[in-house]
Amino acid sequence: MKPAPQLLIVDDNPADVGLAREGLARSAYRGQINSAGDGVEAMAFLNRREKYASAARPDLVILDLNLPKKDGLAVLAGMKADPELRRIPVVIFSTSQLNRDIARSYELGANCYVSKPGNLNEFFSAVKSIEEFWFGPVSLPPRGE
Amino acid sequence: MSSTGTQLEAPDSANPKPKLRALLVEDNASDAELMLRELRREGFDVATTVVQTAAEFRRRVKEELPDIILADYNLGEWRGVEALEILHGESLDIPVIIVTGALGDVTAVECIKQGATDYVLKDGLARLPEAIRRALREKQERTLRHQVEQDLAKKVDELARSNADLEQFAYVASHDLQEPLRMVAAYTQLLAERYKGKLDETADKFIGYASEGALRMQVLIQDLLAFSRVGRNTSASGSVDCNSVMEEVLQTLAATIQESGAVVTHGELPAVWADRTQMAQVLQNLVGNAIKFRGKEPPVVSVQAEKAEQHWLFRVSDNGIGIAPEYAENIFVVFQRLHARTEYPGNGIGLAICKKIVERYGGKIWVEAQTGSGSTFKFTMPLHGPNEHGANKREQARP
Repeated sequence: MKPAPQLLIVDDNPADVGLAREGLARSAYRGQINSAGDGVEAMAFLNRREKYASAARPDLVILDLNLPKKDGLAVLAGMKADPELRRIPVVIFSTSQLNRDIARSYELGANCYVSKPGNLNEFFSAVKSIEEFWFGPVSLPPRGE
Repeated sequence: MSSTGTQLEAPDSANPKPKLRALLVEDNASDAELMLRELRREGFDVATTVVQTAAEFRRRVKEELPDIILADYNLGEWRGVEALEILHGESLDIPVIIVTGALGDVTAVECIKQGATDYVLKDGLARLPEAIRRALREKQERTLRHQVEQDLAKKVDELARSNADLEQFAYVASHDLQEPLRMVAAYTQLLAERYKGKLDETADKFIGYASEGALRMQVLIQDLLAFSRVGRNTSASGSVDCNSVMEEVLQTLAATIQESGAVVTHGELPAVWADRTQMAQVLQNLVGNAIKFRGKEPPVVSVQAEKAEQHWLFRVSDNGIGIAPEYAENIFVVFQRLHARTEYPGNGIGLAICKKIVERYGGKIWVEAQTGSGSTFKFTMPLHGPNEHGANKREQARP
């Protein structure tokens, strides 16, 4: 049996994490959902440091840009510079619609950029689209290779 | 004013005795004495210092800052007119009257050109007091004008700064308000979805109000952001053909036009210097309003433009419900509405945006309307862009 998919959501707003979880619950996703509240915690999780020593490596990261301590772009840059982490697809999920943020994200190697919609139903459908695409037709990087 | 107070100086307006500090540039003691006598005879309370050399003059004028300088033209080693150069070099604005024995017309004109207020011949000293009064008066006016100009420049500067601050504030506030508001809107909606019918009717109603309020506020903030953005995006100005802008606007409004059965026509429109998107916003808001605020008849909207003296004059007229003249100004204010939302939807941002855009290019916008007999919105746009005719400094000064 295939192991359950692993998803990491990096967002400082628990309400937004809650909405993403709700959106995923309404989708076909049946895997594990982990969350980190700031950039430093996200890097600790990904590098399996301290309390995350036994954390599973995520198959996909959904990353907010506006984060305390270490912002989303820094997390993205850190991941893409790390040979262990660079293959994990990163979906930037941010309220920012600034061209500057979008361009910078792709420059740093983001796999796609999705704007967080203000409207609830649009929010859910964005989450659903992310799930349907990345856990649907997409072949994710194989584990343990 | 009351006359009970003790007055230190006797106000005798018929014979004023102004205290006057004069610097005399004069190498002839008896001439200096003659001048002084003439002034005292005229009632001047005068304190004088007499200097002879240029070096002495330079030192004294800085020390004493006299009210007036009376300079002989011919002083042996130097000439009184050089005093003007020294004053200029020291950035001192002190009136100078050349008082001299004889002065040719050409030299006299030269002195005035150099900045002397007047010249008086020594055998006509009777004219000196009046020359001094005039010089002092002019100096006072000059000082006053300078002060007023400085005050004005300062006010303009302050105003520009506070305007920029306000715009920045509106932008930041509305931008940062979006985030928490998104949470309120999302979770009240979620509450409504999940608990509708599970609490009681009142709870459903309360949740409904909260949810609607949050959604409306989201739209308001979007509008406010759009409004504050008008002054922020500056890069895209160029020559814009309003005929093609109008075609775009008609396409955007196609559904509305069809639903309402509106007939929208336009004459030959000019090219104007503007941001294309903003020009489209203005025309779309005006035509959109003309259709929205329609009467019983299908809307008939006409867009025309003509060359007036210094600008293009645009007219957007309709056969709609019109506007009571007392509201003609209000409608251009942000979030001002004249009708219930249920009657005519909207937030009252469209005309405020039109006004802000038009004014950005130095134009004006106004309405000519009566209740029930249609409206004509008029606005002006300058004939020339910044590169075509003079410079539009305000536009260029922006980063």
